[in-house]
Amino acid sequence: MTDWLQENVLWLIPAAPLLACLWIVLVGHVIRRQYAHRPLVIGLAVALVASLYLLTVVVPHGFGHEHEPSHSVVTTVYQWIQIGTIDIPVKLRADAMSALMLTMVTSVSLLVAIFASSYMKGDPGYPRFFAAMALFVFSMCMLVLAGNFLLLFVFWEAVGLCSYLLIGFWFHKPSAAAAAKKAFVVNRIGDFGFILAIFLIWQTFGTLDFQTLFESPQRIAEVLKSQPEMFHWICLLLFVGAVGKSAQFPLQVWLPDAMEGPTPVSALIHAATMVTAGVYLVARCTPFFVHAPQVQMIVAGIGAATALIAAITALTQYDLKRVLAYSTVSQLGYMFMALGAAGGGAELAVPAVTFAMFHMFTHAFFKAVLFLSAGSVMHAMGDVIDMRRFSGLRKALPITHWTFLAGALALAGVPLLSGFWSKDEILAVLAAASRGSEHGGFYSVILGIALLTSLMTAFYTFRAYFMTFWGDEKFPEEAGHHPHDAPPAMAGPLAILAGAALVVGLISGPTHLYAHYLHHTPGFPEGHEFPMDWLMMGVSSVLAIGGIGVAYLMYVRSPKTAENLKNRLPIPFLVSNEGLFIDWCGYKFIASPLRGFAKVCELFDRWVIDTLVDCVGFIPALFGSVLRPIQNGMVQNYAMVMMIGLLVCLITVLRALAVTTSGTM
Amino acid sequence: MNEAIQQLNGALSLIAPEAVMLAGVCLIFFAAPFLVNERGEAPVGLRHRWGFLSLLTLVIAGCVWWQSPPVPRTMGPFVLDELTWYIRGLTLFFGAVLVLLHWNQADDSRSAESHACLLAILAGVNLIAASNDLIGLFVALELVSIPTYLFLLLPRRDAPAQEATLKYFLLSIFSSAIVLFGMSYLYGATGTTSLAGIHAAFSAGPHQVNPLVAVATVMLIAGLGFRLTAVPFHFYAPDVFQGSPTSAAAMLSFVPKIAGFVALLRLMVPATGAEQAATSWSMNPAAIPLLWWLAVITMFVGNLMALMQTDIRRLLAYSSVSHAGYMIVGLVVGMEHEIPKEVLSQPVAHSVSGIGAMLFYLAVYGSMTLGTFAVLIAASRVNKRIETYDDLSGLSRTRPGLALVLAIFLFSLAGLPPTAGFLGKLNLFFAAWSQGFESSRWLAVVLAINAALGAWYYLKIIGVMFLRDPVDRSETEIQIEAPSLLAAGICLMGTIGLFFFPGWIWGPIQSIMP
Repeated sequence: MTDWLQENVLWLIPAAPLLACLWIVLVGHVIRRQYAHRPLVIGLAVALVASLYLLTVVVPHGFGHEHEPSHSVVTTVYQWIQIGTIDIPVKLRADAMSALMLTMVTSVSLLVAIFASSYMKGDPGYPRFFAAMALFVFSMCMLVLAGNFLLLFVFWEAVGLCSYLLIGFWFHKPSAAAAAKKAFVVNRIGDFGFILAIFLIWQTFGTLDFQTLFESPQRIAEVLKSQPEMFHWICLLLFVGAVGKSAQFPLQVWLPDAMEGPTPVSALIHAATMVTAGVYLVARCTPFFVHAPQVQMIVAGIGAATALIAAITALTQYDLKRVLAYSTVSQLGYMFMALGAAGGGAELAVPAVTFAMFHMFTHAFFKAVLFLSAGSVMHAMGDVIDMRRFSGLRKALPITHWTFLAGALALAGVPLLSGFWSKDEILAVLAAASRGSEHGGFYSVILGIALLTSLMTAFYTFRAYFMTFWGDEKFPEEAGHHPHDAPPAMAGPLAILAGAALVVGLISGPTHLYAHYLHHTPGFPEGHEFPMDWLMMGVSSVLAIGGIGVAYLMYVRSPKTAENLKNRLPIPFLVSNEGLFIDWCGYKFIASPLRGFAKVCELFDRWVIDTLVDCVGFIPALFGSVLRPIQNGMVQNYAMVMMIGLLVCLITVLRALAVTTSGTM
Repeated sequence: MNEAIQQLNGALSLIAPEAVMLAGVCLIFFAAPFLVNERGEAPVGLRHRWGFLSLLTLVIAGCVWWQSPPVPRTMGPFVLDELTWYIRGLTLFFGAVLVLLHWNQADDSRSAESHACLLAILAGVNLIAASNDLIGLFVALELVSIPTYLFLLLPRRDAPAQEATLKYFLLSIFSSAIVLFGMSYLYGATGTTSLAGIHAAFSAGPHQVNPLVAVATVMLIAGLGFRLTAVPFHFYAPDVFQGSPTSAAAMLSFVPKIAGFVALLRLMVPATGAEQAATSWSMNPAAIPLLWWLAVITMFVGNLMALMQTDIRRLLAYSSVSHAGYMIVGLVVGMEHEIPKEVLSQPVAHSVSGIGAMLFYLAVYGSMTLGTFAVLIAASRVNKRIETYDDLSGLSRTRPGLALVLAIFLFSLAGLPPTAGFLGKLNLFFAAWSQGFESSRWLAVVLAINAALGAWYYLKIIGVMFLRDPVDRSETEIQIEAPSLLAAGICLMGTIGLFFFPGWIWGPIQSIMP
């Protein structure tokens, strides 16, 4: 029984949501439409149980503190083509990293699915929503389980497609359709880099299989000796792929717009899971990245820039969901900073990756609860999300208030909550990198940005919290007179996620449970115990509480201050509110010239290419006019031409024969 | 006397499925006249019974086929190796599809004879695959040709069908004569009619091409090229496809191709399986350049002519010409592979064998082309069959399911994923490209160009079906053609299934061409 489970648990995880998707599309779409969420919830529950089981399978002998890579579990689901030397299997592979990621993906999606079953009630596209969500979870699981780069890329695209479908879920709204398109197009830029990286890997190593690539240090050493610069290119291009998917500077523009989708989608896809695929990709390719320290510095730099820009933008947003979206971008920047810290020294590689993944793990929970609470607010306020139009909701929506507060405290990094542990460790590893002799100066700057961002994070999170839940009670007219709090199907997942946001860090932070587990990932370089950095803990606590305090002063004590400040400093306000004009610059300096270029191309196409094609199209006609007289329906002609053809064949062959025979004689 | 009986028994056991099919043919021919009255009228619905009987015959033959695995080759008149086994499976499977296609094409009174002819044709193809002797091969070829004449004429008997049959008849006889000519020279050069004997004589004799053999090669390729619809022996195809009943056109687009290719393989490739490596044949130096040129011309002429057609059947005829060209590529590349055994000192890292790719493509081609014809039959209305683009326009609105299925078949014919046509072309391309000769690489390039040309007219049909408005034909009602719908479903499974599970077919092929 256990053997059977060990062998089959891998495909069971993606198969459960896939079956749910098929069921909804084929059956649930037609009958019992209002229960279309049930197959998905059941499928996700199965997948969650399977993932939890997988956690124990990939590290079978318990796990100690020493670094002992366990072997990955590999299953070939099916052999697609095996013809001669061409061999394309669909191969699933799981190790410690993917098991942790799967647990996160399936648990958050299960809760979000339950939440959505109530949130989406009455929507005409109810079954379509759950079908797309099931497809998304399937694709995400496959992305995590992919055993080679090709499969990873296929599902990398598939999650992008699902994201497109779900952002544009209300496609009759022009803004939603435009946002979906924007997300898709911006992601293409990243995917372009990713696929180039795959080509390079194929050319350099001759294989795309993770097991061969990551678990054989000799092969890497060989390539390192012969083509050392190759790693830089591969890693840089892989990072370009990650930048697109994880919304890093300068491709972060799509994520805030993606908030046009239903809120559960924002919580699941654009906060907890899909956007972290980029972090996962870079972490997965750690065995490559350790050989490209310069690229790691770029990673850290881009991460820092993103974190800072997004935090500045989040300071002045009035749309609750957009605040959270910018905060997601900013936190993803944090993760990349952590990943990039490995460039500060070889011994930092393991802690850097571990902490990035840990932050991703905790972030999934507290960001999901924040988004879902925002969704609950939106639900109660009649789809109004502008924070200027409501306030003082803590009495009307008590459950939502408490869950949002839990998420906000965790995000701000208040001591002992989950965000505190993971963020603190990132700061610690950055601090360690800044003490390094080689690039210490660079990492000092990064550390400074990280601290500043941490302060701003606390401020903008609580700005949103205070603006929404404190102050005078005020409802928009869309909400009716008595807004109702979250119904049980929404409140349950909110409470669970809020609990997770509070305690996940406490369980695995001080004990290093997560880190020790992750160390079992095969291919990770040897690492050692990373000490707690008490200084950074103190500093970050002070910053978190300081940020919250400033927000309290500005938005609760004297609500006029914020308005005054805005009027006093119109230009900084505008810069922040417009997101440093990055979107605008994108349109002005990239989209517009491209549009002009497209115009030129169109003219070229119309006048030059079309003419050429017309000429080519003339060839068959010309050809036909030669052949048509022969093909005239007269059987004697046919026989005649056949005879001539035969004679031509005969003469050519005999002449060729004569030439070769005379040649050999 | 005892020995003779034993030999006969031995030979019969090698062709047991064909014996079953021919018994079925005899039964139908014998019983049919008793069920039709003096005025030539038959009870309504009689054709269903003949259809079921044909299917039953094929199923029994299939069981026998499954029970008779390949045996080592002997000098006897028949051979049952992996190739025979594979071709038999192919013929029986697609034979059943053809029976379904033909189900309602002939009226009740003529149905029996036409079903019997179809069975005889299929038995003939199997006998070609099983023959180990020039005479047996020729007789088997005629067992395909002669029932074909009847099969073309019987269901409809109107002027276009008569014209089509006459054209096919005359040109087919012409080609048979050419084949016979070639065989006689082959006999003259070697003094034996046994194929095994001929191959033995060649591998033993001087490694030099005899002019007599060269003439024989050209004649055989030309005569069999008629079956393959290789240019310039393809002229009958468009006219015959246009004039004959749809099921006959479907049969012509596929069955003679199996016959032609397997006959060429039997003649040109001395042995299959494990024996293949040991022998090589001196016919190749003459045959390869000839087939190379035939492949190139066939692909180009087929595709370019297809571009200009407005009649769907003529278009499919040219499409079948071009697909013959693709398959000849596999054959050439596979035969080229024979020579360099001694030329090349180190073994080449070949990935796909050309002949294997060709045999794979044959199965793929069968499912997609028969599927297309099945949809054409299913989409036709009472007294109005699909003839031009206009008849298909707006099909997506009148029959959305059929339009989708036809689109899948056309995608497959154009070679786009996720259909088997894509894998088939990919295999042929890889086979040609990875062979490492400049000439075969050129073939790969020509194949790619032609695949692009082909996409043009296939996609045009899809465009007509999905983008144009239906031409108003409200006066004739839709008829549900259950057997051809079933046939289309089976072909659809083949077309999609072979993409995802190519191992179904590739496994047996690899035992033919290791």
